[in-house]
Amino acid sequence: MADMLLNVEGVTKRFGGLTAVNGVTLEMRKGDLVSLIGPNGAGKTTLFNLITGQLTVTQGRVRFKGQDVTARSPEERARLGFGRTFQIAKTLTSMTTLENALVGAYHRHHDTRKAAERAMNCLEQVGLGRRAGVRAGLLTLSERRRLEIARALALGPDILMLDEVMAGLNPTEVDDIIHLIRALHAGGLTLLVIEHNLKVVRALGHRVMVVDFGTRIAEGDPETVLSDPRVIEAYLGKKYA
Amino acid sequence: MKKAETMTVSTFAAAKGRHAPARGLVTFRSSALQVILLSVVLLAATFLGREHSYVMNIVAYTFLFAGLATAWNIIGGFGGQFSLMHAVFFAIGGYTAMNLFKLGVNPWIALVPAMALAAGFAVIVSWPLFRLRGKFFGIATLAVAEMMLVLANYFKGLTGGSQGMSVPLKPGLQNMIFLDRFHYALLMLGYATVVLLIAAYVYRSRLGYFLQAVRDEQDAARSVGISITKVKLTGMALSAALTAAGGVLFAMYLRFVDPPTLLSITDIGVRFLLIALIGGIGTLFGPLIGALLIVPLEFTLRAYLADVVPGSHLIVLGGSLILCALFLKRGVVGLALDLMNRRKEASHG
Ligand SMILES: Nc1ncnc2c1ncn2[C@@H]1O[C@H](COP(=O)(O)OP(=O)(O)O)[C@@H](O)[C@H]1O
Ligand SMILES: [Mg+2]
Repeated sequence: MADMLLNVEGVTKRFGGLTAVNGVTLEMRKGDLVSLIGPNGAGKTTLFNLITGQLTVTQGRVRFKGQDVTARSPEERARLGFGRTFQIAKTLTSMTTLENALVGAYHRHHDTRKAAERAMNCLEQVGLGRRAGVRAGLLTLSERRRLEIARALALGPDILMLDEVMAGLNPTEVDDIIHLIRALHAGGLTLLVIEHNLKVVRALGHRVMVVDFGTRIAEGDPETVLSDPRVIEAYLGKKYA
Repeated sequence: MKKAETMTVSTFAAAKGRHAPARGLVTFRSSALQVILLSVVLLAATFLGREHSYVMNIVAYTFLFAGLATAWNIIGGFGGQFSLMHAVFFAIGGYTAMNLFKLGVNPWIALVPAMALAAGFAVIVSWPLFRLRGKFFGIATLAVAEMMLVLANYFKGLTGGSQGMSVPLKPGLQNMIFLDRFHYALLMLGYATVVLLIAAYVYRSRLGYFLQAVRDEQDAARSVGISITKVKLTGMALSAALTAAGGVLFAMYLRFVDPPTLLSITDIGVRFLLIALIGGIGTLFGPLIGALLIVPLEFTLRAYLADVVPGSHLIVLGGSLILCALFLKRGVVGLALDLMNRRKEASHG
């Protein structure tokens, strides 16, 4: 149990009459790489928001590094070691690309020069080094996605949570991100990745969790999970199952 | 530029172990140097006009309002919190200076309690108000300013009520009272320079970047561990303290204060915002440029138009504000920066 990092214990989120996340449980150890998949509207982003604190749970608990963080604010959780990206990139549009990563890097260094060096390294990691001085509002969609990763990385998180960062990227860019995720994972980082593209999920390997209508319907290694009739049904409809 | 968009594995490799330079980051040093250079130019210009008392009055007002608008810009521009209650901090400065002067405390020393009081007041009042966003925050701060105007008239012991307060003409540097307006112009230039240096430091520091992050995207800011309220309160307290310092100087310049002079919504409260808006909200030099344009223009308009059509200078000012809001969202400085960027992009191919 010593290396347990994240325990999501039966979390539920209701929006009025709609149950977006329904009693989902997830355990992650230090160094795990988990892909979270499921059809549109399944509740993946909502689950992310419950884990990082952007939304408060209706029921259930979230434990991180042995602490109950269910009542903690997103900023407190970020300081504890949660790094995340947003599905709809939340770019700091009036600031430069470097300054976007810098606000994350300040968590590690109070000194601006040192923080900027760290931020620059994170930009290089996602291939945005040459865009450092550009106003982030001028970046393309794919660049903004990568900037989200750089900003979260700059925090130096214990767990990095990526929400569909590959949507809208071209195949070369997707390969580069897969490469980056593998490198970060090899470096010991724990990752939770929401991904729509099943090819990417297969490429990442490791553990997959599937949610549909807010409920966890399968979990395991990609081959087993992706051949599970319920998963095929959720993705392709009943007649294929 | 296109080349940079495709990421290659080689860029990953290149990142390893390389000492990354801080491209895309303007340092405080370079901004401070610009502030000093600008101040020297303004100082020289002030010397040229020193014989003309009428001009020195305009110059003193211009520099004072340059400093005040720059102070407002720290929370209003960098932090995006459109406060209309800054007249209250200004009045706290003015009244503190006047009351302490009566007790024999000179205005230089009065700066300290004036700034501390304004910062404390700012924190207490802003705490609940920061729950409001955007225009609702603006409206609430306007209500605070209105309320304080009423209270200032009521608490005669502290403010002299509607009669106002004055201090005797006791010239001397230690009293911050000068016979020559040129000396006030220098004092105000010193104030504007100090405020600009502080704003430049904030702009290029952790606090400044956090304020901008909070302004641009609150959720993104929180996701990297920024406490929104703490950052906004810090920015507000600093902005209020610097505004109060301007209030001290202003009171010693006029040697007379009453509620309308210090707390008027149109003449004081909205003016900081108006100057920053025309010059360029959220840019370092916008408020200075705005003051250099607006304050002399206003004096001139008042001198020439007020006799012909009373109040017409306000119509011209209001009109230019509307034009700015419509066509120059980032003010004169924003326009200049955009033009410069466009030229840079063009020359890069
Ligand atoms: N803030 C909200 N208020 C109401 N309903 C929401 C809110 N956020 C998400 N939902 C609903 O919850 C469900 C799950 O959404 P989401 O978590 O975004 O799915 P996914 O990320 O898997 O595509 C959807 O039906 C969505 O419309
Ligand atoms: Mg989603």
